[in-house]
Amino acid sequence: MTGRLLNLLLSRRPAGAPLLLLFVLLLSSATASAVDIIAHRGVSLNAMSLASARAIFGMRQVKWPDGTSIKVFVLPDESPTHGAACKERLNLFPYQLRQSWDRLVYSGMAQAPSEVSSEEELMNKVAATPGAIGYVRKVRSNDPVKIINIE
Amino acid sequence: MIRSKSSILSRSCLLIVWGSAALGTPVFAQELGDGLQAHGFISQSMVHTSDNKVGGNSGDDVGWDMREMGANLSWRPNPDWLISGQILARWAGDTDEGKLRLDYGFVDRTLFADGDTQVGLRLGKIKNPYGFFNTTRDVAHTRPGIIMPQSVYLDQIRNFFLAAPGVSVYGNSEYHTGNLSWQISALRPEVNDQSLEYVFLLNDLPGHFKGKESWLSQAMFDMGGEWRMGISLGAMNMTYRPSPLGDIEIAGNHHLPTWVLSLEKNTENWSLTAEYGRTRVKAKNYNFANTDHWTEAWYAQATRRFGNNWQGFIRYDALYLDKDDKTGEGFASDPIIAGLGFKAHSRYAQDWVLGVRHDIDHLALSAELHRVDGTAWLAQAENLPASQVRKWNMLLLQAAWRF
Repeated sequence: MTGRLLNLLLSRRPAGAPLLLLFVLLLSSATASAVDIIAHRGVSLNAMSLASARAIFGMRQVKWPDGTSIKVFVLPDESPTHGAACKERLNLFPYQLRQSWDRLVYSGMAQAPSEVSSEEELMNKVAATPGAIGYVRKVRSNDPVKIINIE
Repeated sequence: MIRSKSSILSRSCLLIVWGSAALGTPVFAQELGDGLQAHGFISQSMVHTSDNKVGGNSGDDVGWDMREMGANLSWRPNPDWLISGQILARWAGDTDEGKLRLDYGFVDRTLFADGDTQVGLRLGKIKNPYGFFNTTRDVAHTRPGIIMPQSVYLDQIRNFFLAAPGVSVYGNSEYHTGNLSWQISALRPEVNDQSLEYVFLLNDLPGHFKGKESWLSQAMFDMGGEWRMGISLGAMNMTYRPSPLGDIEIAGNHHLPTWVLSLEKNTENWSLTAEYGRTRVKAKNYNFANTDHWTEAWYAQATRRFGNNWQGFIRYDALYLDKDDKTGEGFASDPIIAGLGFKAHSRYAQDWVLGVRHDIDHLALSAELHRVDGTAWLAQAENLPASQVRKWNMLLLQAAWRF
């Protein structure tokens, strides 16, 4: 998509190529951070490794370092925000997460994440549930949750 | 009598769950609060074969006697404890008649957890990890097609390998490069199964098998979902108890060491999956069933996701019941075996499969075509050895729903 746009722009306005390139790069870096991992404000972590994030959203890791329960909230598989969270934050495709949840849930080896139908509901659940983690497209400054950075 | 009651019960449950699926209102809420969850699944298949019987069809007509239904409950009172159980009813022609049973039921205790590493213990009736798919082979949504690749996941011995009472130690470690999970189980397989006698004694005899101490283990490395690779290793044991009222066979032992290697490559649009396994069949102290040989089983599958929840796949699946007699000629040249009607082609099966699947929310609709050379994985309870046709085709359609 970005490449096609770049080609189109470059072919029409060769003189403006460096500026356009910069613009496109800025645009693509902006879309890469379109989804934030959020947690209940009582969660003591501010950042976690990609491995930990995958373990938590993969339902393999069920407690925070202080021993309290992790409660995972997600949107439906078809949700674009869910797709973006998987790809951009966890570096996974949504179908891979679904397959690993199903393998665990139908063999009794772990529980499924809690699925909610909208980002607004997800934000409310994460804000209201101690130990909760989830994701939304954009966190506003007055939202009652904290952002977890994935390192 | 007991069987017919439980069959009526499971048929009623089936009706309720399908009814609620059609109305789009799950009968159970998934989240029951306080760490309690419920999930379930149901599927109905249609089968048509050119020759031979699968799932209760009669060769030239359409069979509807393949369906599955299961429901589970899990309770996590705190992060260190998990209690899970699932009931299952399955219909597959003459080999499975919908008897309601406990699929698994166990207590899981986390013994050690330091963030990126967990070690725990499971006690009860536990699903056996074997290859990529064994633990959830009855859940249509998790299978790589309508039926499992029969080479590695032979339906005739599914009950034997599926789940067993025992204890297992498991672990999970997260690394920068991926996730390593492993499990080692000590178990006693459940073997009260007519199909098992057909596979290992060549007939349904009046006595019965009894499970002996066995073990299974698995290590699986998942590199961020892009590559998954694993090894499953173990040895299953059982003895035959002849009927006191008279039996042609005497008490003997089966010792079945087994391994399977699993490899999968995933991209956004493609999944390439291959598994290769061998099982040693070592039977001794019998009158007739004594043997010592290795089976060979492998398949390779390419799955393409087309978008809009459509996917298609192609698979080649090969099973040889004796890797040193792949054509079955050696087996069939035995006059007693030949006298029982067994043909050489009952010792192998090569299956080309083309499949398509469309997902609509929690509903999955699938179709697949099989072109098979050999009859090694057919149920002998439905197909007398002498009547098995070597080259045959099969069409399967399936609707499956889960919550």
